Amino acid sequence: MSVLLLTVTALTSFIAAADTPNSPPEPPSIVTLYQGATDSAVALGLTPIGVVDSWLEKPMYRYLRDALDSVEHVGLETQPNLEKIAWLNPDLVIASDFRHAQIAPLLNAIAPTVSAPTVFNFKTTLTMVANATDREAEARELLQHWDARVVDFRQQIAVKLGSDWPQKVAVVRFKSDHVRIYTSGFAGSILKELGFEQPETLQSQRWGMKLSSTENIPVLDADALFILLEPDDPAIADNYQHWASHPLWQQLSAVQSGRVFEVDPVSWMMGGGILAANAMLDDLYSRYGLLQPGAAQHQACLTRSSDHGKPASC
Amino acid sequence: MRADATLTLNSVINSDSHRLLRRLLILSFLLLASAGLSLCLGSFPTPPLQVLNTLAAPQSSDIAFIIWELRLPRIALAILVGAALAIAGAILQSIVRNPLASPDVIGITSGAALAAVVFLSLLSSTLSIHWLPVAAMLGALVSALLVVSLAWKSGISPSRMVLVGIGLAAAMGAGTTLLIVISDDSAAMTAYVWLTGSLYAAQWNDVWGLLPWLVVAVPISLLFARHADAMALGDSVAEGLGVAILRSRLVLLACSVALAGAAVAFAGGLSFVGLIAPHLAAKLVGRNLARLVPASALVGALIVLYADLLGRVAFLPKDLPAGIFVAGIGAPFFVYLLHKSRARF
Repeated sequence: MSVLLLTVTALTSFIAAADTPNSPPEPPSIVTLYQGATDSAVALGLTPIGVVDSWLEKPMYRYLRDALDSVEHVGLETQPNLEKIAWLNPDLVIASDFRHAQIAPLLNAIAPTVSAPTVFNFKTTLTMVANATDREAEARELLQHWDARVVDFRQQIAVKLGSDWPQKVAVVRFKSDHVRIYTSGFAGSILKELGFEQPETLQSQRWGMKLSSTENIPVLDADALFILLEPDDPAIADNYQHWASHPLWQQLSAVQSGRVFEVDPVSWMMGGGILAANAMLDDLYSRYGLLQPGAAQHQACLTRSSDHGKPASC
Repeated sequence: MRADATLTLNSVINSDSHRLLRRLLILSFLLLASAGLSLCLGSFPTPPLQVLNTLAAPQSSDIAFIIWELRLPRIALAILVGAALAIAGAILQSIVRNPLASPDVIGITSGAALAAVVFLSLLSSTLSIHWLPVAAMLGALVSALLVVSLAWKSGISPSRMVLVGIGLAAAMGAGTTLLIVISDDSAAMTAYVWLTGSLYAAQWNDVWGLLPWLVVAVPISLLFARHADAMALGDSVAEGLGVAILRSRLVLLACSVALAGAAVAFAGGLSFVGLIAPHLAAKLVGRNLARLVPASALVGALIVLYADLLGRVAFLPKDLPAGIFVAGIGAPFFVYLLHKSRARF
């Protein structure tokens, strides 16, 4: 029966192609195997035919749902369902060495596969997806837009904070039984690009630090803390309450200066692509009370880019 | 009168070995049928006839790729891993004379796990992931050697070995946890999947990597199984029967380490199979190691095969690690068999 289905699909697409001989070439059908690749594809105006489940807001992050409402899911990022990918018959698979090195030979047998070394670098991911799908110009535009926003943010925040700039900040993720501080990765590298610094205690860490006792709270002494919680998990909120009510927590300078921000874990960590990065930057503008140049225009660009198939022209 | 008794004894032995043969045949048939079923099931079920066609005449089509490159190697690896772990467990339970022994007891699994996590969190940026099975195998061998040498006291006493093994396993478990704690999220996630045990993305290379270990270790285990059965009567009785205890024990131990280490290297921490499969098999064919080896192998293969089948198709489109389901499949059977045997006696 599945073969019949496949045949029917092939036939209908053949007929559709025959009907409109002068239409521009079909965008390649792609399957994205990590969150940042899915985000980047949408940013480039592509609708993947298969994506992996999101980490939060399952099965797909809300900011991508409109763009991906009828798209097939191929399982988890850590163990994507190879058979499902094979059935989808994509033109291109977008993977990462970091997660998918082991299945690379199988992926390549299913379809040509491009692979990014890590999953964290949204610029590498965007450029890679763009190069593989002939959308270099769109990617360049998105990155130029990003660079301009970074320059603007750095200027504005330096003026606004004066001698308080550069800020030492930490990204703190609460789990139900421990706390993780991230110094590198997606949010860490963006904060660094924006000119933020890290508390001395964290500078030597490779990826960050895992804290399991409230005794370690002084490690978090920074000018500002960005707190990642998971709205679906009450145990995480409880743990945050437990830490935040601790006397040591009250002594942190970020707490005393009122710069403890609960931020959206999807745009700050899980999304991993340029759309998420822009949303994170939006968030930083509003947290520090900065005005975005052409804020309305940028918002429009984000909404439009999540429309079906239209490239984000901003 | 005397001839009569011999005759009866012979017929008892005959009917007994017939029963063994029949049970092994039934298990083999069950395994074959299950492999066939597993070959038909996936993201979309394939009709059995089409599967047979594809197997008979390999052509290059999507379905051929799915059956030959995705389903078949995974099924083959599941069978080999299950068999290897089960035999390793059967041998250990017999040597140690403790029904709760499993490849964990002499630190094989925890050694492999520690090595795998060290690899994933510290070396994965410099070395290709394809070295992971080698690292795990080395970990298993080193830790087994460590257990045997620490337990050595002019020979191997099973009880000393168990105590040393449990201690070492606990220490290595602590090391594994520590490494997971200090490594970043992604390495930790990969490590958790590995520790659960998974046959995901099994390829023919993995099958050819594991097969030689079984080809060598299984015949040797069968050859020495008689000695183990003699040893089960006590060391002095076995010596009286002319068994070189130390040599037999070391050979069997080496077989067990090789089988479990190789299986764990390719499938991660599925070690529960090594505990449960020999017990299930013993309910069918008895505690005699020479019989237990083939029976456990078949039972272990069945457990892992079904665990992986569930992982593949029960939560589509997710493809979940088989390790999640191994205990889920093995434990209810085990409880049922215990219950049944209690009712009988």
